[in-house]
Amino acid sequence: MRKVALVGGGLSTWGVRSATWGELVQEAGSQLFATTRNLDAKSIDSLFVGAAQPERLAFQSHVAPMVAELLGVKPSRFIRRVELACASGQTAIHDAYAAIASGLSDVALVVGIEKMNLPSMPEATTAMANVLDRAWDGVHGGTAPPFFAMVAQRHMLEYGTTAEQMAAVSVKNHRFANSNPTAQFYSKTFSKEKLLSGPFVSPPLRIGDCSSMTDGAGAVLLVGEELAKNYTDTPAWVVATSQYSDFHNLANMPSLTDWVGLRKAAHDLYARGRTEPTQISLAEVHDCFTISEIVEYEGLGFCPKGEGGRFVSDGQSDLGGQVVVNPRGGLLGCGHPLGATGVGQAVEVLGQFQSTVAGSRLVKGATQALTHNLSGSANVHTLTLYRRAN
Amino acid sequence: MSSATRPYLLDFYPLEDEKYTRIAPFFIHLRAGRLTTTKCERDGSVHWPPRVACPNCHGTQLAWVDLPRSGRLYAFSALYLGLPLGMEQDAGAVVGLVELGDTHIKIFSRITGRKYEEIHIGDAVELETFDIDDGRVFYRFKFKV
Ligand SMILES: [Zn+2]
Repeated sequence: MRKVALVGGGLSTWGVRSATWGELVQEAGSQLFATTRNLDAKSIDSLFVGAAQPERLAFQSHVAPMVAELLGVKPSRFIRRVELACASGQTAIHDAYAAIASGLSDVALVVGIEKMNLPSMPEATTAMANVLDRAWDGVHGGTAPPFFAMVAQRHMLEYGTTAEQMAAVSVKNHRFANSNPTAQFYSKTFSKEKLLSGPFVSPPLRIGDCSSMTDGAGAVLLVGEELAKNYTDTPAWVVATSQYSDFHNLANMPSLTDWVGLRKAAHDLYARGRTEPTQISLAEVHDCFTISEIVEYEGLGFCPKGEGGRFVSDGQSDLGGQVVVNPRGGLLGCGHPLGATGVGQAVEVLGQFQSTVAGSRLVKGATQALTHNLSGSANVHTLTLYRRAN
Repeated sequence: MSSATRPYLLDFYPLEDEKYTRIAPFFIHLRAGRLTTTKCERDGSVHWPPRVACPNCHGTQLAWVDLPRSGRLYAFSALYLGLPLGMEQDAGAVVGLVELGDTHIKIFSRITGRKYEEIHIGDAVELETFDIDDGRVFYRFKFKV
């Protein structure tokens, strides 16, 4: 297969934005064009748009041609929107990778976008309650917070994980977000005490344990190996991808605390990339809730089962630890505009490899990184492995 | 949250009538106080939720079987913030995974009768059916007294 390089990235500012769905797309696209050398819209042959719920959240479908028009591109090979809930953005990157690796595309644009803050918050949360099995789980009030609350409850019971350990995830990621000007929590202060005295969303998860409703967009450019040098001296090479899906209705979930699908997808990713967890210096993972990041340390093989809480409280996922997790600020610090999140993670990996991110979150000498998104009730896991050197 | 007052695409409850679904018997059984589901006659798989084809062997010869009406709480939480449209008045409601009798099935459900602070993993619960105000019926679980 042909090698594929991620050569450029741009983001809108993320947060509660006074901007429409399309305006966010234009902000991110303009950043990509402004920061990627020699990028000519006419050379882009394919467009993949990661967007989870434009029908519910922006009352708009058939969004890919809308994005093409907004960014002045006329795709001739592939144009489509990709939907996989919270993993829509990373899945769109996978599709661009596959198109280029196969030789069917040469230059592909990926845009991730979600506009989640509506005048009516209950309308927006309704669009979250149809991600689980709506007629059987969503109907009872099954959205992400109560689901991940049950994960936390069982992880605390089975492994002794504590509220303080969960808070440590959020403190770390909010601190990193303070160095990221595009993050929702860039200029906001955060502390363990503030988290532990905040209101419950779904106990034991308090508001500081949960990622936010966020408006945001991101754009990345992927090209075939021989074209990479036109656009950058330091690309992020896409080495491997993996996904695994093993259930949908909550009754068919193998375990709340052992994410079998993540272990399977991680095993496949490391095997395809001929690497192992100890060789990963930087990981952008799906901390939709604090407990998620803890279960992910375990599922990704960074620490043994049940020891994720200790892993974070010992500083093993921070600068100077075994693997730096979520230096971008994660979903907790950056916010979680569903379709944009996976694209934002990819932009961070590129910025880390190019040493263009703030020094206070730079993972010095990082040569290999992974990105991870779960979607729904952690029933699907989506992973990408990147390397600095070809 | 009835279809009389809400557009279909904002209505969480499934349509129950045989005009709209092939699992209408589930709701007829529910109205009689029975929690039922489908079982594959070829490989014996018990499904949740009820299906019209077996996801395991793809056979279409399925039988209705009764599930236990009682079970125990495997995990639970409550809905304090971020409730969807039509559920805003339910703030504080308890939800949980109910392990049904000695089956492998854990059903996610609303749980009524006690506050979050008063409940524990392993507490016994039993089926409760209720009328939706437009003539439909649905299920949840309540604490055993
Ligand atoms: Zn079967």
